[in-house]
Amino acid sequence: MSLVAQEVPKIGLVMEDVKVVRWLKNVGDTVKAGEVLLEVETEKSVVEIEAAASGRLSQILVQVDQSATVGDRVAWIDSVDAQEPVDARSPVGTWTPNGAGGPPEQPKIAAPAHQGPQPLTSAAAPRQTGRILSTPVARKLATERGIDLGAITGTGPGGRVQLNDVERAASPRQGAPTATSQPLSAMRRALARAMTLSNATIPQFTVTRSVDWTVLNAVRNELSAKLPKSSVKLSINDFLLQAVARSLIEFSVLNATFAGDLESDAGIVPAMGAHIGLVVAIDNGLLVPVIHNVEQLGLAEIANRRAACVERSVKGRLNSDEIAGATFSISNLGAQGPDRFTAIINPPQSAILAVGRQRDVVVARDGIAVVRSQSDLTLTVDHRVADGRQASQFLARVVDILEGRDWLS
Amino acid sequence: MQHTFIDILRLALDEELARDPAVHLLGEDVAAGGAFGVTRGLAEKHGATRVRNTPISEAAITGLATGAALCGLKPVLEIMFIDFATLSMDCLVNQTAKYRYMSGGQLAVPMVVRTQAGAAGGAAAQHSQSLEAWFIHVPGLIVVAPSTPAEAYGLLKSSIRLGEPVLFVEHKRLYTMKGELAEGAELPPIGKARIARPGTDVTLITYSAMVQGALEAASELAEVGISLEVIDLRTLVPLDMATIAASVSKTHRALIAHEAVVNGGVSAEIAARIGSELFDQLDAPVLRVGCPFAPIPFAPELERALLPGSPAIVAAVHELMGRTQ
Amino acid sequence: MTEPTLADWKEMYRALWQIRHFEAQVQRLAAAGEIPGFPHLSTGQEAVAVGVCTQLLRDDVLFTSHRGHGHVLAKGSDLTATFAEILGRQNGLCGGRGGSMHLVDAANGVLGATGVVAGNLALAAGAAWAAQALGKKNISVVFFGDGATGAGAFHETLNLAALWRLPVLFVCENNGYAEFTSREEHSNVKHVSSFAAPYGIATQTIDGNDLPTVFAAAGAAIAALRGGAGPYLLECMTFRMAGHYVGDAQQYRSKQELSEIREKCPIERLKRTLVARGVAGEELDAIGERAVAEVREAVERARAGLRPDPSGVLDYVYRSPAFAGIPG
Repeated sequence: MSLVAQEVPKIGLVMEDVKVVRWLKNVGDTVKAGEVLLEVETEKSVVEIEAAASGRLSQILVQVDQSATVGDRVAWIDSVDAQEPVDARSPVGTWTPNGAGGPPEQPKIAAPAHQGPQPLTSAAAPRQTGRILSTPVARKLATERGIDLGAITGTGPGGRVQLNDVERAASPRQGAPTATSQPLSAMRRALARAMTLSNATIPQFTVTRSVDWTVLNAVRNELSAKLPKSSVKLSINDFLLQAVARSLIEFSVLNATFAGDLESDAGIVPAMGAHIGLVVAIDNGLLVPVIHNVEQLGLAEIANRRAACVERSVKGRLNSDEIAGATFSISNLGAQGPDRFTAIINPPQSAILAVGRQRDVVVARDGIAVVRSQSDLTLTVDHRVADGRQASQFLARVVDILEGRDWLS
Repeated sequence: MQHTFIDILRLALDEELARDPAVHLLGEDVAAGGAFGVTRGLAEKHGATRVRNTPISEAAITGLATGAALCGLKPVLEIMFIDFATLSMDCLVNQTAKYRYMSGGQLAVPMVVRTQAGAAGGAAAQHSQSLEAWFIHVPGLIVVAPSTPAEAYGLLKSSIRLGEPVLFVEHKRLYTMKGELAEGAELPPIGKARIARPGTDVTLITYSAMVQGALEAASELAEVGISLEVIDLRTLVPLDMATIAASVSKTHRALIAHEAVVNGGVSAEIAARIGSELFDQLDAPVLRVGCPFAPIPFAPELERALLPGSPAIVAAVHELMGRTQ
Repeated sequence: MTEPTLADWKEMYRALWQIRHFEAQVQRLAAAGEIPGFPHLSTGQEAVAVGVCTQLLRDDVLFTSHRGHGHVLAKGSDLTATFAEILGRQNGLCGGRGGSMHLVDAANGVLGATGVVAGNLALAAGAAWAAQALGKKNISVVFFGDGATGAGAFHETLNLAALWRLPVLFVCENNGYAEFTSREEHSNVKHVSSFAAPYGIATQTIDGNDLPTVFAAAGAAIAALRGGAGPYLLECMTFRMAGHYVGDAQQYRSKQELSEIREKCPIERLKRTLVARGVAGEELDAIGERAVAEVREAVERARAGLRPDPSGVLDYVYRSPAFAGIPG
């Protein structure tokens, strides 16, 4: 006994996709070479396909309503009279057109006795043992897509599952669309890991203050006017960076990270300077480049570094030094951002400052209602490193600096 | 303008002789034009000291070229048939290839050994072999095999200028091949393959005369909708695995073809590397096409029966694609 | 060629002792297991090395065999670096990559030793060809043992060198043995110089243990070579005082043979010659002791050398580790 492939022969002059519309035999049935075994539908008509050999139909590879192309194997016949090897050179099937281009006469019949999506075979299946034959690249794709190899019928030699078999299983050409999992990019995976870890391991709390930008907007214009035309324009983030840096030096308890195991060697590691991360939005994700020793920098230099960081982030040129070493990050969602939001601490840092959008609000000043440009600042803090009072004092200091004229330019 | 392979080799040698006074040609009958006429006229043009005949002493002339390369010359030695390289082996393997390494980098051997391989109708077993596989096994030697006149021109010049010991393996049947030479084309780097024909279904890795057979097979297969990507290796060692990897990662099917005997041929090394480095890309086993395990016979019918060509490649591709003819 | 002065002879006496003690140290350390592989000693053959190499210029190119320590030292290579190479250290001539049988000191014109008998005779001819082709004045010298005459390459090379009139000096140290077989057993031709005439090469067979004899013969040969006379084959009859390689128990030699040998020792003979000319024996002894001391210091410096760093093991296969195929 040997296995003969039943293939879709060339129909007409063009290589077409066809759809299987009817199997005239079930798996296990005897077939005779030359008798009609299945019907396929082309663009023009329904076509009968004759069995390639006599024997027993041992496996159906393409079900009713599934598509196949010329040359594809649609079944295996366990042949009693096959004298040539499986991939014989003689043509494997012939077809007779069913009517001259008229509508199909036979109704489409669902494959009998097959309820499951992919039938596995009878005992005479090409797979002799329990082992599934598959190619390396097919296995790799199946793993990536979470598809069970055993559920796929292979069309390769000996029933080997090949790449196109897995591709077909991953996006079948049937009626009902099924959602397929889109694998995460490396960056999104890293981000997801970090945020999950942060939520799982860091006890985070928030404190909120609003900051009045009136003075700062004026200061910014004055300082900008003094800078050379070619220098980087000062942005609010530069002022935020300096204010946070100075506050971190003053309130050094927040300029530290928690390290170790709570049950054994837990400790607080102080940082040697104010190293601050800035959350930068990029295509399909975000990066947090770090500016080191911000406390030593004037606004102009902060602006240079900030601009360089952003550019390198956007171009994907950050190296590992540039994203490490910070204890604190600033996230400013800008003018289109929310009024306020809570950011998640970026491990292994201890805090993150979320800056809401600048908006005009009505506030009370000296007993009267005035309109001021303000933002809500929300500070998220690691409770193992600092408590509410320390966090509040730190945030108050930041706001103090932001609302004042004392700047190192 | 069309040049034959032989004319182009001569042109390349002529130009290198003119360009660099250190370049010297030597070999049996070289001053008289060489067994295949490659060096014809060069002795007259560049002088008897630059282009010299030697006695039939492969061992000594290989040593001579090596010693001279150590001392400031850039010899281009002709070993008439690769079958005779057996007589050069002690020097090539034990001295030439190893001088830089054994001396800890003090000395280099800037030398080219030009030879030719392949069966061409009736030359029989001792004059028809393709033995390049032996030489990819020797660290320090570089093995180059050009496939067309234009390739030969550039690769020979690159080999002469490279500053390492290079075995430059020409092919008898290519000697009469005609080709164009592009004006001012850049010299191809040694160690980098080229895509002779891009494709999507099967990666066919080959070199030397078999590139022609590969391109014929590719045309034939295109008519039945199979797209072959043909990689012309150009350099056999060091191997350009990066080009192979990029191709196999696209096609997921690899076939290696050469005229040399399959057993222990260059294809064996490449197949092993594909299997270990590109395992997850493979949708089919790596197949090889080459000469079966027999010496090349004398009678034309027998020789033809043995030599692989485009029919063997087409059959192998069909096997890879899992379809009948 | 000017006759050497007494000072010159004393200098050559020192050189003989240098080689003698160098080889003794190699033997000692090899027996102690410090030297990888199996070094070959040239003990007893020093006069050939010194007699020839003293008359070579730095630019003259030297090739030698697996028994080549003496030639390399006599050409002027650094004692420490040479010993360190035999020990396989980083401070060796080749950084530990070559070893005893592949000593190369390119800056000093030592272009290589080989472990393949007759393996580099043609290379020496090639070096001579390069000198001729480039119009340089240097000559090429290659040392080999009588066993090399069994190799085809020997005959091919003599033929080619004579045909092209190459300035190469072939120096055969005929010590009567090829590996463990005596000459009578592997050739009907008693003297290697017999091979020269058929190829048209000038030749001489001399007593290789008498330094003045070697010096005179080599001097004449070198002068002829420099004058463009074509290759020369100098056969120096000598003997091996140590076995074929360190550890070889020399069971193939008789005890009487070995004591005769000591009579013929080149160092003893030169001493006798110089004493006869009025040099004090004690002065010669002192020269010898100084050479010995110098070698000892060099050996210690060599032994202090670092072992090579394995991370560089793939370097020098090609010009650069990441093969750059762009033509230079």
